[in-house]
Amino acid sequence: MRQSEVITGQDFREMFTCATAWLEKNASEIDALNVFPVPDGDTGTNMLLTMHSCMEEAYRAPDNSASAIALAIGKGALMGARGNSGVILSQILRGLAQDVSGKESLTGADLANALEEASRMAYKGLSNPVEGTILTVIKDAASAAQKLVSEGDANLNSVMEAAVNAAKESVANTPTLLPILKESGVVDAGGQGLYTLLEGALHYLRGEAEQIQFRKPQIIASSIPLTARPPEMIAADEVPFGYCTEFMLKGQKLKPDKIRAKLEKKGESLIVVGDDTTTRIHIHTLDPGEVIHYAASLGTMHQISIRNMDEQHRDFLEMQKDKAPALDMAIVAVVSGNGLAEVFSSLGVTAIVPGGQTMNPSTKDILQAIESTSSDKVIVLPNNKNIVLAAEQVTSLTDKNVEIVATETIPQGIAALLAFDFEADLMTNARLMKQAISAVRSAEITRAVRSTKINSIKIKRKQAIGLLDGELVTVGDDTTSVLYDTLAKVDLDNQEIVTIYFGADTEQTEAEQASATIREQHPQLQVEVVRGDQPHYHYIVSVE
Amino acid sequence: MTVKIVTDSLSDITDDNSGGLDITVVPLTVLFGRETYLDRVTITTEEFYRRLTTQDIVPTTTQPTPQAFADVYNRLAEETDEILVITLSSKLSGTYQSAMGAIEMMEKKCRVEVIDSQTVAMALGLVVLAATRAAQEGMRLDALVDFVHQALSRAHFLVYFDTLKYLAKGGRIGKAQGMLGSMLSIKPIITIKEGEISPVTRVRSQAAGIEYLYNFATSFPHIEALAVEHSTQPEAADRLVDRLAVSLPDKLIVRSVVSPVLGTYAGPNAIAVTVLEGTGI
Repeated sequence: MRQSEVITGQDFREMFTCATAWLEKNASEIDALNVFPVPDGDTGTNMLLTMHSCMEEAYRAPDNSASAIALAIGKGALMGARGNSGVILSQILRGLAQDVSGKESLTGADLANALEEASRMAYKGLSNPVEGTILTVIKDAASAAQKLVSEGDANLNSVMEAAVNAAKESVANTPTLLPILKESGVVDAGGQGLYTLLEGALHYLRGEAEQIQFRKPQIIASSIPLTARPPEMIAADEVPFGYCTEFMLKGQKLKPDKIRAKLEKKGESLIVVGDDTTTRIHIHTLDPGEVIHYAASLGTMHQISIRNMDEQHRDFLEMQKDKAPALDMAIVAVVSGNGLAEVFSSLGVTAIVPGGQTMNPSTKDILQAIESTSSDKVIVLPNNKNIVLAAEQVTSLTDKNVEIVATETIPQGIAALLAFDFEADLMTNARLMKQAISAVRSAEITRAVRSTKINSIKIKRKQAIGLLDGELVTVGDDTTSVLYDTLAKVDLDNQEIVTIYFGADTEQTEAEQASATIREQHPQLQVEVVRGDQPHYHYIVSVE
Repeated sequence: MTVKIVTDSLSDITDDNSGGLDITVVPLTVLFGRETYLDRVTITTEEFYRRLTTQDIVPTTTQPTPQAFADVYNRLAEETDEILVITLSSKLSGTYQSAMGAIEMMEKKCRVEVIDSQTVAMALGLVVLAATRAAQEGMRLDALVDFVHQALSRAHFLVYFDTLKYLAKGGRIGKAQGMLGSMLSIKPIITIKEGEISPVTRVRSQAAGIEYLYNFATSFPHIEALAVEHSTQPEAADRLVDRLAVSLPDKLIVRSVVSPVLGTYAGPNAIAVTVLEGTGI
């Protein structure tokens, strides 16, 4: 491994060449991540084209000092910036260039300072900086580099390594900061792009420029669980995207700040960067004419690009369809309670129909859910005895190929869902899922709504009752004791996993306590406690 | 001259299970931070899994260098004029590129064909074993290439993961990404499809997972060979072998250990089954 104290201008240029090559290998994967600000699927490509423009300029630099090369890269970035991420990247590179300006070569401390300036510059270009994007990633990378230097380690490789590691963590964290990423099940595309560039630069510093031709960058996995939604649900309810309008403005006394203030109300994702003689403008607007008209009054326009983003978005969806998990089948489930809804979504349910005991959804509700999915083949999980019939009516009302897997309880629904075979066809899956129902026992603890006598058990109104696979088996005053009594009817010693979904009326501590008690009595069991938030049922328990 | 067969350490072929066949296995590299090990050469599988499960550091892996392949080619070229290299899926590692790149670096004239198996583990291993036997019976390189492609289409691989933790850490999750968000502790059954990790189904316990693997293996009308592998629990894999041996008497069942490279993603307690489907003739 090579350990350089300083890098010369030539090294600096080679480092960017290596970073660009590394990004190139990852560009199409990054395109597929793109959902923010507009899911048009071109982030990787735009960043790459921006880098190409930088490198072209870098080879035209007047001399080989770090300063000259950096300034050339900064200039190339401004001239060739494309798209949102490209423009922000260009700001980052210009910040970098500004800080390197005047230096013959770079030390680790110089690099840390340059990253800091790059981060500052990136934020400056935006009227409304959003966290969880490339901005957060450059900020985190820069501060990690600074921290290392302040701790006394100014080795160039170590500084870059600190920046790369921080960037990686930061990218993994983007879905926590930006909800659309979490919903779409991806990390931020621009952030990933920046990370890839930094990693490419590190490869160069380590003397691995040759080897990288045999390797491939990785898309970072999110630090939080992501539930990928099917593509057509992403941003489906948003306003029209309009036109992505980009151009470079040349003139005198352009005052980017003034231009930014003027254009702020004209659209979304506004970026105005540059100086008084050259300014790059990027905006998503419904009326590009107005923006162009205004800009023409300030100076001359160059590299004008106006693209219809609705078209881009459609192309992106087509691209996503190819990449989406091989689910040409959709699954619709009837579920109530936020926790349970999340459990079902996390296991791959496409659409959820709210409902359950005492709030049975209509056939029409289920039909609408089926029609809302993009698939022609749909599996329906009613998850309640009283809903099975309504669900079965649906098959004659739709042209889609619908299979009802008649689950009568939530645990049955989850067992069926888990048995879904990603490789199998609709009929096989319906069969596998039906088979799975019998492998699970369902216990449900609720309170009686009136006094009655069932299975020769006398029940008073509001007493806790325990049902096992839908049959009333116990009654008592305390829900937790009724839970134990119900489970006592199952031969727990021959079971493996008990999952307790506690309801909206049950405290988590109470559920944890019940779990501990069960585990104590049956040490071989794996007991899990999950917040179900379901109404009426204090506990829904699966035993398998 | 006999065609010489080369593969990588992801084939899970070892001296113990290759039945004395002449196969050159080029190791991938496992990295724990800055410490580098050659897969199964300078680190045993036991030691690897011990460190994987007891230390915080996430191991990474890299493909062999082109030079490592070139050295093998040059050595084999002394003995033969045809070499067949079968690598793990190029979508999971750059090993295929290294094996290809090494051809340029050869000093002696010798034909080399490199096949991207688009799979891993014993799905690759059983095909390599079959190809080596065919080569020893005198099959020439061109025929062997067809033979391997045909055999690869008959190799079916399933692996039970006891945890998704390592798959998520390793980043190479492909289409299994959707499995990560689960609120429940689920254990995936995974295959390799078109060269990439692809989900098959999910179970909630190892017993259910092994049952699934057993049913899968016994569902084929014609079987040429089988393989069973473990990461850290040889007993569990041995029990599965015993069950399979009863329902599928007279079938060759190869035992192996999931390579540390795949183990980086599979983690402890994984069990894998490969079926090399028979042609029925």
